[in-house]
Amino acid sequence: MSAVGKLIREPWDELGLSESKAFALQRSGATFGIWVFIASEVLFFGAIFLLYAAMRIEHADAFAAAARETNIVYGTLNTAILLTSGLTASVASRAAEHDGLRRLTLWCLAATAALGLAFLVVKGLEYREDIEKHLVPGPRFALAQAPAQLFFGFYWLSTGVHAIHLSIGIGLVGRLIGKGLRDHEWLVGNAQVEIALLYWGFVDVVWIFLYPALYLAGRAG
Amino acid sequence: MSEQRQSPARAIWLRSLVVWAILIALLGLSWLAAYGPFGGWTVAVNFGIAAAQATLVAVLFMRLNEASALVRLAAVCGLFWASILFALTLSDTFSRLANV
Amino acid sequence: MSSGATADATTLANPRELPLELPASYLADGRTLLSWLATTDHKRIAILYAVVITFFFFVGGIAATLVRLELFTPQADLVGSDTYNKLFSLHGIVMVWFFLIPSIPTTMGNFLLPLMIGARDLAFPKLNLVSWYLNLGGGLLTLAAVLAGGIDTGWTFYVPYSTTFSNSFVTLAVLGVLVSGFSTIATGVNFIATVHYLRAPGMTWFRLPLFVWAMYTTSLIFVLATPVLAVTLTLVVAERSFGLPIFDPARGGDPILFQHLFWFYSHPAVYIMVLPAMGVISEVITCYARRRIFGYSFMVYALVAIAMIGFFTWGHHMFTSGMSPYAALVFSFLSFIVAVPSAIKVFNWTATLYRGQIGFESPMLYALGFLGLFTVGGLTGLFLASVPIDVHVQDTYFVVAHFHYIMVGASVSAYFAGLHFWWPKITGRMYPEAWARFAAILMFFGFNLTFFPQFIAGYLGMPRRYHVYPPEFQVWNVLSSAGAAVLAAAYLMPLGYLTWSVFFGSRAPNDPWNASGLEWRTTSPPPRQNFFGNPEVLAQPYNYHPESTPPIKDQPRVPSQGSLT
Repeated sequence: MSAVGKLIREPWDELGLSESKAFALQRSGATFGIWVFIASEVLFFGAIFLLYAAMRIEHADAFAAAARETNIVYGTLNTAILLTSGLTASVASRAAEHDGLRRLTLWCLAATAALGLAFLVVKGLEYREDIEKHLVPGPRFALAQAPAQLFFGFYWLSTGVHAIHLSIGIGLVGRLIGKGLRDHEWLVGNAQVEIALLYWGFVDVVWIFLYPALYLAGRAG
Repeated sequence: MSEQRQSPARAIWLRSLVVWAILIALLGLSWLAAYGPFGGWTVAVNFGIAAAQATLVAVLFMRLNEASALVRLAAVCGLFWASILFALTLSDTFSRLANV
Repeated sequence: MSSGATADATTLANPRELPLELPASYLADGRTLLSWLATTDHKRIAILYAVVITFFFFVGGIAATLVRLELFTPQADLVGSDTYNKLFSLHGIVMVWFFLIPSIPTTMGNFLLPLMIGARDLAFPKLNLVSWYLNLGGGLLTLAAVLAGGIDTGWTFYVPYSTTFSNSFVTLAVLGVLVSGFSTIATGVNFIATVHYLRAPGMTWFRLPLFVWAMYTTSLIFVLATPVLAVTLTLVVAERSFGLPIFDPARGGDPILFQHLFWFYSHPAVYIMVLPAMGVISEVITCYARRRIFGYSFMVYALVAIAMIGFFTWGHHMFTSGMSPYAALVFSFLSFIVAVPSAIKVFNWTATLYRGQIGFESPMLYALGFLGLFTVGGLTGLFLASVPIDVHVQDTYFVVAHFHYIMVGASVSAYFAGLHFWWPKITGRMYPEAWARFAAILMFFGFNLTFFPQFIAGYLGMPRRYHVYPPEFQVWNVLSSAGAAVLAAAYLMPLGYLTWSVFFGSRAPNDPWNASGLEWRTTSPPPRQNFFGNPEVLAQPYNYHPESTPPIKDQPRVPSQGSLT
């Protein structure tokens, strides 16, 4: 069986199409599937941002005061890291379509995963600082205004949920690297590469909106 | 052989690096704007820049520009339904605040 | 006793209809436990789902039985307040998330969707299996919460009670529902991709059977509403287990936001329950009236419209929550609009019956029951959509009766209609028709006896969720509890005779009802590959006789509807 034939799964292998056509159809079906899932995720994070919007509308001052307490350096650094990982993910996704670019694909996948891990490390440092500054909601919370605790409730929740998504993304990309190293033909044109990297792109987009929500509010005042 | 291998790689890097540079520039702009004298408009500026960045990532990094109409429809559906959620919920939030 | 019933492939096919060298049916294709638990065959996964769903149906049913027993008298005789709270919560949570939401889509949808569009399987068979495990895992988590001591929040998990005050096992139950939510999202993605990519040649969008359209629109709701439920439940867990203030009013939180998010999912969830039911009914009514569906394209538009508009109306659950009165007006108006496509569907089914040659087989009895019960449920919904009446009957048994007419009267009736209609195709066996008709009729009367008195009790002011009530409501509660006993018997009967039929029923022919869909153009039960050869579609669905021609008992099938060769 050819390299392409190995990658065709049920039920796409039984459509009575030629190998290359079945492979292309499977790939486009998989891409569509992940986009439907991303649409679902848009609603997931949409609801989280709606929560933020409604709470900020109700408690504008407390939110500005609370947002000033977040560490903008860590936040901006992390945004830059994720935007760069979006670059490597995009290059990997395009390179995977070319027969001769296997090494470039692998390097870019490795860079993507490494940048994701770097993000988590920076996030961990930031969490440690937040805990030291008593920014965890509860009786020993640092700020006097009660609704400021809402902001940090949102902060921990949204960054936590985002970190879970990112960790899943790192796992997916790591799996691609493992498979790609073992089987030389596995990466080329494989829908799983594109799916994983589209998911990665979406996790990027979520952070792009979390950045102004968590770090930029109330700075000018 | 090696030239054939080089040229697609270079094209890929070139396109992606330009987008990346714009994204980083927008990030810097957003950071500066947060301290800028825009008053109540700061929020709009920051989230507007975020929306621009997100569009760039979605269209050029996630390749919506090359995607089929069906895939674009899926992406638009997510945004449309999220806008239903926002519009109706916030209409309640705003009108409750107005009545207080 | 049953050994040998499925001993080899050929015994599953009707020898009069088929040559004997056919491939094994999907049931005979592997008989170890692992061949079931690791299967990627959509038909086997449908059976796996059916087992789990049936189990949860009876778990929820036992809780309902205890609730109705307790309500027999105005005093507390059987259980105390805490236990009563846990019983109705258990009933609601299990019935909504582990029976009604997955019921028709994951069993009949899984089994029939590929068959109806002429596909070999769903687009992502492994994902389909993962969905089942997620569904099972969610169910087990929720059961664990029940066994640990129960949940007393009601199925809605309203804050701040669920986050701050309840001392029951809320987190565990919420996690269970959350996990099952991922299962439905995966199923939705799978169905949508399948309908887009795997339709057989000639199966255009406007040749899809209405059941497929129903699955497609339901999947849209799965994909677009369920994530919001996931967020809502995550927030409850975050606040309850991690102490993050989100809705806590003491710190400025806004519990009404919880209700917005919750109902953004849970109102469309009603359509998750009723759209598949509508799909089943369209198939059954056309077959037993021997008529084409009246207004096919409008039936499609109505399904899409219900799925869409269903997202705009959630606020009618919140009229008395403290939401702004202006928003309430908007939501009330939008809620009335949903009645339009729903009415289109009811009128079109009725028009399909008109001048049909109606046969009163058991699936049709269930379907006709659906028509009446759905209409009552839908019309009382209009009462609740108008703010002044809703304020009067909010949190009374009127609301309970209304949504049971939709969810039980309509959806469960349709579930049984579909189960009987496709049972020969799924199992390859015929069930005893007389028993099935008796159960269908008993279910209809038992249902009305149970729930119609609740409209009256509710209108008179009996509040829901109390186990002690003023004695003037007793007569309605006695009627209702008596009806519940009838209903329980009617639900147990199919469990008996359908199980019996798997072992002792006569072999089913390929198309016992002379139906027109593509799923009948293969063996009963179908082989692993669904079809022999590649089906091709050349005509509209519901290829029954046109109005001017008389019905013919063995009306020749149009071979273009797929073939066996």
